[in-house]
Amino acid sequence: MRALVKNGVGIFSPQGFLDGNNSVSFLSIEDIEATAKLNVDMILVSLKKVVFFNRNGLDAFVKMFAKVRSSNHTTVGFCDYDTKKFNAIRKFYKNDLNFSLFSSQEIAMLFTSSYKNQNKNVLLFSEDKSQRAAMAIELHDNGHNPIIAQTEDEFLEKSKSEAAYDYIIKNTYLGQMGQSIATRVTGNAIIYTVSSFLDAEIGNTFNIAYHNNSLNVGFRLFIFDAYKVISMNVHALNFFSKLASSGAEYNATICFVGMTFEKTPKAFKETLEDSGILFYNQMDDILQNKELLEELGASSAANIKNKRVINKTTVTELPNFIEATVATIEMMTNSKATKEAANINTIAITDKTNKIASSIGFYGDMDGMVILVFPAEIAKKACALLIGEDTEDIELILDTLAELVNIVGGKLKTLLSDQNISVDITLPRTYPNVDSLLEIANGKKGVQVDLAFDNDKFLFFLTR
Amino acid sequence: MITKEQIDSYIEKIPPAPKALQETLHLLNTGELTKAAKVASQDLALNNYLKNLVNKPIYGFRNSVSDISQIFGILGVSGSQQAVYNYMMNLLSPKDWKLFKLNQNSFHNLQDELSTNWKKILKFLEIQDKDIESSITLLPASIIVSEALFREKIADINLLRSVNPIDLNTVLQRLCGMDLFDICEQISLKWEMPKYIAQIVQASSGLKPSQDKEINTLGRWMHLLLFFTLSKPNFIEAELNDFIDFQIEYVAEIYDDFSSLMEIS
Repeated sequence: MRALVKNGVGIFSPQGFLDGNNSVSFLSIEDIEATAKLNVDMILVSLKKVVFFNRNGLDAFVKMFAKVRSSNHTTVGFCDYDTKKFNAIRKFYKNDLNFSLFSSQEIAMLFTSSYKNQNKNVLLFSEDKSQRAAMAIELHDNGHNPIIAQTEDEFLEKSKSEAAYDYIIKNTYLGQMGQSIATRVTGNAIIYTVSSFLDAEIGNTFNIAYHNNSLNVGFRLFIFDAYKVISMNVHALNFFSKLASSGAEYNATICFVGMTFEKTPKAFKETLEDSGILFYNQMDDILQNKELLEELGASSAANIKNKRVINKTTVTELPNFIEATVATIEMMTNSKATKEAANINTIAITDKTNKIASSIGFYGDMDGMVILVFPAEIAKKACALLIGEDTEDIELILDTLAELVNIVGGKLKTLLSDQNISVDITLPRTYPNVDSLLEIANGKKGVQVDLAFDNDKFLFFLTR
Repeated sequence: MITKEQIDSYIEKIPPAPKALQETLHLLNTGELTKAAKVASQDLALNNYLKNLVNKPIYGFRNSVSDISQIFGILGVSGSQQAVYNYMMNLLSPKDWKLFKLNQNSFHNLQDELSTNWKKILKFLEIQDKDIESSITLLPASIIVSEALFREKIADINLLRSVNPIDLNTVLQRLCGMDLFDICEQISLKWEMPKYIAQIVQASSGLKPSQDKEINTLGRWMHLLLFFTLSKPNFIEAELNDFIDFQIEYVAEIYDDFSSLMEIS
């Protein structure tokens, strides 16, 4: 089967039933190779005429996506499905949904370069905040006018006035965005979800590189959502104890929420508490308690063990870092950036007033951290697109800023992968003021680039 | 490129009409199993075909069955009728397929799969009608006609499809004003099947639903069965899957029953 190419989008349209027995018959090796050579913006598999599919049936196409994506970084994914099919795909690929999902070909077209600057009014909703932000930015970047519904109720309410919108987006997912390992919540806490029996396997399934990089970026509060944990054995106990002691060097706090000790020895709880792990019954006990959140998460982070120096590999890729950042902020603020100065030194912020900051780490073939310091006004302006209105709520601004920086990270990841440098990104960390940033970044050597967006000064700092 | 006359001439050839075969079919139509078996036994090739058919594992007999009247007894009137239709199709089917990547064996499998599952469906729907049971043979028959029509023009068709990847059924419709299901109808008339059989097959296109509720229901089941069968790896590779356009909305209301009947999970 070959893709039908129209307006820069290649579409496969299998028909009937799609399962493990027949999916390879739809796609031969030659078909995959021919697809990888196509010069298109997107490769999609339409499920419009597929009445039944299972994970094995989709896998052949997903493998093709990986091949196509690695050879030319085209957007890949499925399209033309209903809510039932959308939920099924999300369930099948819960933790490795690295392709996109577009409810229809029309919606997919909005995200292609061949349909730019049409200035369409697009109402969009996704339960995932990062997805909402990512879609809004992509649409804005393509010259459309995204209107974001923050809740499902708001979406349903707004959808009623259909005539107001050219397109309404739901059940859509941008695959290259987001981070599925953990969930970030307000207060700079990272939540990991663990379930069933915790044993020696936790050492393999827990992404320690990600955790370490999150520490390096400045996250200090890690919550294990353990509602669904049945029991824990001594190997897992050792693992968590070690995790707690290694985190202590960063003043990090590890909490367990919802863990019962019905089938786990009570003594384990004491051992874990001795190593510094805290236990809470409900997630809200932490998340709704702002004072506690601050106490746990905003503790001094100056105590960083390894101060690493920036290396040549990182500096060589500097243009990519700048491009990813500038392109995103320019687009969000609708202003032009000019570079004022660049030098290698420790971070230097002359005017600390009215500034907020964010950092995001990357690791893999190369590692490091990008720090962005925004004048509050630029941050507000950049976030207005995502929030949909002007706001003075600093918490909301910081939250939205984190989404924006997440997008910078996503762009960076794509730019680097074009040069065969594979990196993963951590979740972004935000800082309500310059002092809280300096707790992490003070004394670190890196490349500082001072940029100006119109008259507002903006600081970019790349370090390790 | 392909004229109506050409189509008619191909359909004319169906059935090839050896006298014994025609008489067997006629006797089966009137329910005369014993007489039909007697006539059928004169055609050695048909004899051989029926023996091979009934001794396939799918029928699950421990001992080999070789007597024609016994075979007709096992198959029953409608089963025997369908077997004879399938035999006629075998006589017609090309030795080497050019457009569809089929061979005699895989074509035979297509017939078997459609027939066996159609029988299952009719049992589920509690329909006992030998003509309705036989109606499923019309689909493979029209695939043969389509192959015969297209095989001389393969280069032209491939060129046409490289510019605009339309399904072959549409090519057929555009070139000669007749699609696969119209051909089915023509064959059903040639085989002197009742008029409602043509209506069922037309409804099974998913594009020409009938006003009659029952015919439409059968059309839906036939459409879904066709795609269920054409989604098997060997038929996808034979390029039969994209021969016609699957009308997913048309079968939505029967899908749950179909999937539990065919044990799809």
